[in-house]
Amino acid sequence: MADILEISEVSKTYDLDGENPVQALDRVTLDVAEGEFVSVIGPSGCGKSTLFNIVGGLIAQYEGSVRIDGRAVDGAHRDVGVVFQEESTFPWRTTLDNVAFPLEVQGMGKPERDERARKFVSLVGLEGFENHYPAQLSGGMKQRTAVARTLAYEPRIMLLDEPFGALDEQTRMLLGDKMLEIWAALNQTMLLITHNITEAVQLSDRVVVMSFRPGKIKEVISIDLPRPRSSEVISTPKFGEYVGRLWTLLREEASRGMVEAEAELAAR
Amino acid sequence: MAQAGVMAAAPAAGADREATVFRIRALTVVCLLAAWEGLAALGSLEILYGDVIPSSWKIAVAIWGEITAADFYRDLGITFAEHIVGFVVGSAIALALGISMGLNPLLRKAIEPYLNAIGSTPKIIFLPILFLIFGTGIDSKMAKGALSAFFPVVFSTALGMILINPVLLRVGKSFNLNRWHTVTKIYIPAMVNPVITGLRLGMAITVIGVLVAELKFADGGLGYRLGNYYEQFRIAEMYAIILIIFALAAVANMGMTRLQVYANRHQGGSGAHSLSVATN
Repeated sequence: MADILEISEVSKTYDLDGENPVQALDRVTLDVAEGEFVSVIGPSGCGKSTLFNIVGGLIAQYEGSVRIDGRAVDGAHRDVGVVFQEESTFPWRTTLDNVAFPLEVQGMGKPERDERARKFVSLVGLEGFENHYPAQLSGGMKQRTAVARTLAYEPRIMLLDEPFGALDEQTRMLLGDKMLEIWAALNQTMLLITHNITEAVQLSDRVVVMSFRPGKIKEVISIDLPRPRSSEVISTPKFGEYVGRLWTLLREEASRGMVEAEAELAAR
Repeated sequence: MAQAGVMAAAPAAGADREATVFRIRALTVVCLLAAWEGLAALGSLEILYGDVIPSSWKIAVAIWGEITAADFYRDLGITFAEHIVGFVVGSAIALALGISMGLNPLLRKAIEPYLNAIGSTPKIIFLPILFLIFGTGIDSKMAKGALSAFFPVVFSTALGMILINPVLLRVGKSFNLNRWHTVTKIYIPAMVNPVITGLRLGMAITVIGVLVAELKFADGGLGYRLGNYYEQFRIAEMYAIILIIFALAAVANMGMTRLQVYANRHQGGSGAHSLSVATN
C-alpha cells in the first residue's frame, strides 16, 4: 500500500516571549499507509496536538517536511478532516443539516447534499434522528454526528482528536466498534490522538508512543490482532499483553510529565 | 427501574403543578381586587385616602372613555412613533458597535470602560441635555428612547460575539471556510439568541425612557396624558392610562418572547423562559 502521509524529521519550537523556547516536537518521522488506522499516544505535553495542527495545516511554520499524497503541507488545505474532543455540532442545525454542512459550503445543491448526508447519518447509526437538534441527542450521538459530518467532507485523512475522551467508558467502547465498522466500510485513513491505552489497542493497526517534552517518537508498536475486530477482543491475552507493553512505555513519560506539571504549579 | 417510575409519573405531576400554579395566580388577582375594592370603599366613606383609590368600576369606565376618545389615539400614536424610532435607531447603532467590538478586541478594550460607566448610570440624568439639544417636542423623546435602547443591545451583542463557542470556529477552519461563510454560517446563527435577548431588554427599557421623558416635558404622548391627569387629580383616568400602558408593554413583551422561543426552537424552547422574569 502506498503511503498517504509522510512526516519526516518534523520539529517545532514555540518561542512565545523570545526568552523561553519550548520544543514541542523533535525530529518526528512517521509514514501512514492509505487505509491505515494509526493512534498517537502520550502524556499531556508530548506534542500530539502540535503534530495534528501541522498535519491539518493549522500550523504552517515548522522544520522538516509533511507530505500528503506527495504534496507538501504548508498551510490550510482540504485533505484533512478533524473530529474534535469537545462537542462541536452546530446547535442550530439538525443532525442532517450538521452532516450536510461541509457539502453546503462547497456549494452542493440541497437534494444532492441531503442524499449524501443521509448515507453518512446511517453509517454512524443515527437513522431516525435526522431531524433532531443536538440538544435532543446524547453526548455519544452528538460525537457520532460530528464524525458523520467529517466523513461527509470526504477527507483523504481523518484526524480524530480524542473524539470520545469526554464520554463514559462503555459508550466509548461501543463507539470504538462503530468506528471500526466505518473504517472497514470506507477504507478511510485515520489518525487518532488518545490518552486511552485500551482505545488505542482496540482500534489501531499501529500505536505511536510519544515521549514527554520534547515530543519524540519513543516507539511504534504494530497491533497484530485479527481484523475485523470488535471490543470483545479486550478479553484475549494478546490484548492484555499490548496494553501492558504500552503502559510500561508510557509510565515513565507520564510520571515525568506529572512531576514537571507539579513543579510548574509550585513555581507559580 | 426507579428511573422508569419517575419518568412515567412526571407528566401527571407536571399537570398537577400547572393546575396549582393557575389556582395561585387566579387567587392572587381575586385577593388584589378585593383589597383594592376594600381600600376604595374606605376612601369613599372618607375614612382613608379620600379619592386616591377609585373603585375598579370607575377605572373600567375611565378606560372605556380613553379608548373611545380621539385625542387618546393622537397620544398613543406619538408615544408609539417615539418608541419605534428611538428603539430602531438606538439598537441599530448598538448592533453595529457591538459587532465591531466583537470582531476587534482592541476597539473593545479601548471603549469598554466608557460603555460600562455610562451603561451603569441612570440615563435620566441626560434628560436635561437632551431637552436642550432636541427641544421639548417629539425629537427629544426619540433621542431618549435611542439612548435607552442602546446599552442593553450593545452589551449583549458584544458579549454574544465574544462568547461564541471557539470549537465551532475551529470546525469552520477545519472545513476550510472562507471569511464569508464563517460569518454567514457560524457567526450570524450563533448570534441570533444573544441579539434577540438584547433587543427584548432594549425594547422594554425604551418604553421606560420614552415615558419618563414625556412625564417631564412634553406636548403629547401617553406619558404626557398620564402626567396631565395626575396634575388635574383625575385619578380614575390616571389609573386607566397606567393599565393601558401596562397592557401594551405586556403585549410587546409577549411578542418578543414568542420571537425568542421561535429562534431558540432548537434548544427545546427553554432559552427565553429564564429571561422573562428579568425583563418584566
